[in-house]
Amino acid sequence: MGDSGTLFSPSALLCNEDEVFLSEEYSGEAKTCMDLEYLCFVSENEDEYIKSLVQRESAIDFGSKSCVSSSCDCSSTSQSWLKGARLDAIEWIFNTREIFGFQFHTAYVCVTYFDRFLSKRYIDDEKVWTIRLLSVACLSLAAKMEECKAPALSEYRMEEINFKSKMIKKMELLVMKTLDWKLGSITPFAYLHYFINKFCGESRPKGLVSRAVELIVAITREINLMDHRPSAIAAAAVLVAIDDQFTKKELELKMSVISLWGSLENEHVFSCYNIMQNIEMGKVKTPKSVVSPKLLSSMHSSSIDVIENSSSTISAGTKRRLTFTNSDRTCPVKRSHRA
Amino acid sequence: MAGHTPPKRLQNYYQITGFISSGTYGRVYRAKGIKGNEGRTFAIKKFKPDKEGEPTYTGISQSATREMALCAELSHTNVIQHVETYLQDKTIYMVFGYAEHDLLQIVHHHSQLAQPRKPVPGATVRSILYQLLKGCDYLHKSWVMHRDLKPANIMVTSAGQVMIGDLGLARVFREPLVPLYTGDKVVVTIWYRAPELILGGRHYTPAVDLWAVGCIFAELVSLRPIFKGEEAKMDSKKNVPFQKSQMQKIVEVLGFPGEGQWPLLKSYPEHKELGTLYGAARPPRPMGLRTWWANQMKINNYPGNDSPGDQGLSLLEQLLDYNPETRLTAEQALKHKFFDVMRDGEGPGARDCFEGCSIEYPKRKISQEEYSQSLPGTKRSGLPDDSLRPPSKRLRDGF
Repeated sequence: MGDSGTLFSPSALLCNEDEVFLSEEYSGEAKTCMDLEYLCFVSENEDEYIKSLVQRESAIDFGSKSCVSSSCDCSSTSQSWLKGARLDAIEWIFNTREIFGFQFHTAYVCVTYFDRFLSKRYIDDEKVWTIRLLSVACLSLAAKMEECKAPALSEYRMEEINFKSKMIKKMELLVMKTLDWKLGSITPFAYLHYFINKFCGESRPKGLVSRAVELIVAITREINLMDHRPSAIAAAAVLVAIDDQFTKKELELKMSVISLWGSLENEHVFSCYNIMQNIEMGKVKTPKSVVSPKLLSSMHSSSIDVIENSSSTISAGTKRRLTFTNSDRTCPVKRSHRA
Repeated sequence: MAGHTPPKRLQNYYQITGFISSGTYGRVYRAKGIKGNEGRTFAIKKFKPDKEGEPTYTGISQSATREMALCAELSHTNVIQHVETYLQDKTIYMVFGYAEHDLLQIVHHHSQLAQPRKPVPGATVRSILYQLLKGCDYLHKSWVMHRDLKPANIMVTSAGQVMIGDLGLARVFREPLVPLYTGDKVVVTIWYRAPELILGGRHYTPAVDLWAVGCIFAELVSLRPIFKGEEAKMDSKKNVPFQKSQMQKIVEVLGFPGEGQWPLLKSYPEHKELGTLYGAARPPRPMGLRTWWANQMKINNYPGNDSPGDQGLSLLEQLLDYNPETRLTAEQALKHKFFDVMRDGEGPGARDCFEGCSIEYPKRKISQEEYSQSLPGTKRSGLPDDSLRPPSKRLRDGF
C-alpha cells in the first residue's frame, strides 16, 4: 500500500480482517449455535437482503455530486483548504476508530455523514475547527447508530482542541437535521461477503478480505463518498483485491454475473477500480495527509501496549464479536512505524 | 442552501392540548394542528434535555438517535406515522400521528371496566392481529426489528387503525446486535420476551417480535398476560440473572421445550437452567396450550359464533413455538387460515378493527394537570419546559 501505510498500516488492517470476518456475516468458522443460527439466516436470504440494500442506497442520494470531492472540477482554491481538512478529518476518524475499537463500518458511516453534510452546507473559509467539530459529531452519531455502546462525548480526544460536550451535542443535532434525520447508512462492508462469493466462489485467494477492506478504507481519501454507491465501491475493492491488472473486457465479464444494477453503475465500478488500481500502484495524487507528528507518536505509544499477535485474535475473535462488552473496544492492533 | 431559511417553529403549527405520558426519554403531549394542519390531532414527543455536565454524557441519547433515524425512513399504515422532527431551543420534538386508544387500554376496558365481563369480539381480535402482523411484516422487510412489542406499544385510532408505536428500541438488523441490557437498565419487557432470549441467546432475530405477537394475541383473548412472570433483578455486581419465574410461567403452559422440537436448544448458554427450574421438586404437569385456550374461551364467555375458534388456536400455537427457526414469520402468519376472511386486505376488518363492533372504548385519558404543571411559567426544576412557548429570544439555528 506504500505511502498510505502511514495512515492505515497494513498490519493494523490485519486485525480488521478478523473483525470483518467475524462480524455476523463473516463468521465462517463459527462453532457456537448462535453463529449457526445466524449463518442460516444469512445464507437463506442474502440475495434479497443485498437487493434491498441497493434500493436503500438510492434513497440516501449516493451518486449525487458535491464539491468536496477531489475528483470534482469545482475545487477552486477556496476549496483546497477543505480538501486538506477533510483528509485530516478522515485520518482522525480512522485513528479514533482504532482507539475505541469501533468497526470499520462505523468509521465509514461517519465519513458518509461528513460528506453528506458538506454537500448540503457551506463552511466558511478556513474554519478548520468547524471541520474538527463536525468530525467528532459525525463519529459520535455513527457510534450511536452502529456500535453497541457509544463513548461519552468527553472521551473523544483531539489534538490542539477539545470541544465541550455541549458544543458537540449541538453539532450532532445540526448534522442530524441537515441529513434530514436519515442516519441509516450503508457501507461497502455490507457487500463484501456477497461479492467475494459471486466473484470467486470457493477459491478465495489468501488475504482477500483484508486487501478489500484496506482498499475501501483507502478510497475514502480519494473520493467524495456521495459520488459512488457503496455497492460499486465494494465490487471494485473485491475485484482489485483479486487482481489489479484486469482489462476492461475482463472486468465486464466479471460484472456480468451481477444483476444488481444497470450499466451506468458498472461504469462506477470501473471508475472505482481505476482509482483503487492507482492506489495500489502508489500513483495517487492526493498528498499525504498533514498529520501532526505529535498525534501520531502518542497514538503509537498507546497502541503498542495492546500489541499481540493477531493469530490469537483470530481464534478468540468469535466470542469477542458476539459478546461485545466494553473490553471489545480495545481491539489489539499492531501498528507499523511511520514510513 | 439549507440553513438560510428561517427555522420553522413548532408552536406555529401545533398547539398543545394536554399531557399523555412521561418516561425516561421525556414527555409526550397531545396537540392539535393549526395552520394547514387543522382538524388533526398529534402526539408530540419531547425529549428530555440531558445533563450535559456529566463526564459520562453521550450527547443525544442512543435510543433517541436511533428512533429518529428509523422514523425518518419508515412509512406504513400499521406503523405509527412520524410526521416530522423539530430541533428547537436545544430540544428535540418528534411529531407523530395521534391514536385515541392502545391495546393495554382495550384489554383493561374488558378486564376491569365492562361488567358483566365480555370478551374482545372475535372479529376485533382478528383485525387487530392482522394489522399488527402487517406492521411487523413491513418492519421486518425493512430489516428493522421492534424488540419491544407489548400491548402498551400498539396504538389504535378511533377509526380502528392499528399502528405499532415506540420504536425507541427498534434496531436495524445485520448490524451489531445490541445486548439485552444496556448499561444497568433492562430494556425489554419480560412478559413478552422470547424463550431463546431467556435462555441466553444473544442474537436478536425478527422471531423475537413474533413471540411477542403471540403473547399479545393470547392477552387479547384472555385479558391478562399469558406468561406473567416476576422479573429477577440484577444483583449488585450487575450480573444478569436467569429469568426463572418467566421461564416457569411459559413451561407451565407449554411444557418443557425438547430437542426434537428445538434442535439447537442445548447450545443456548442457559439451557441447563431448565433442569433446575423447579429445584428438587417435581415439575408441575403442563397445562398445554389447547387446554389453556379452551379455558379462556369459557372464562371470557366467547360466544360460539364470534370466537377466534380453532384457527385462532392453531395460529397461536405456531406463534408461541419455542423454536425461533420454525416459529411463523410475519409473512407466513398473514397467510394463516385464521386470516382467510381478510382476503388479502380487502375483507371486513382488514383496515378497521372496530368494524361491526358495538363497544364504545373510552378515549385515552389526557391529563390537564400534568400538562399545567409543565406549562410555561410553572417550571419544574431541571426541565426547561417553556420551550413550547414563543421564545423571547430567537435561538440561532446552528452556530
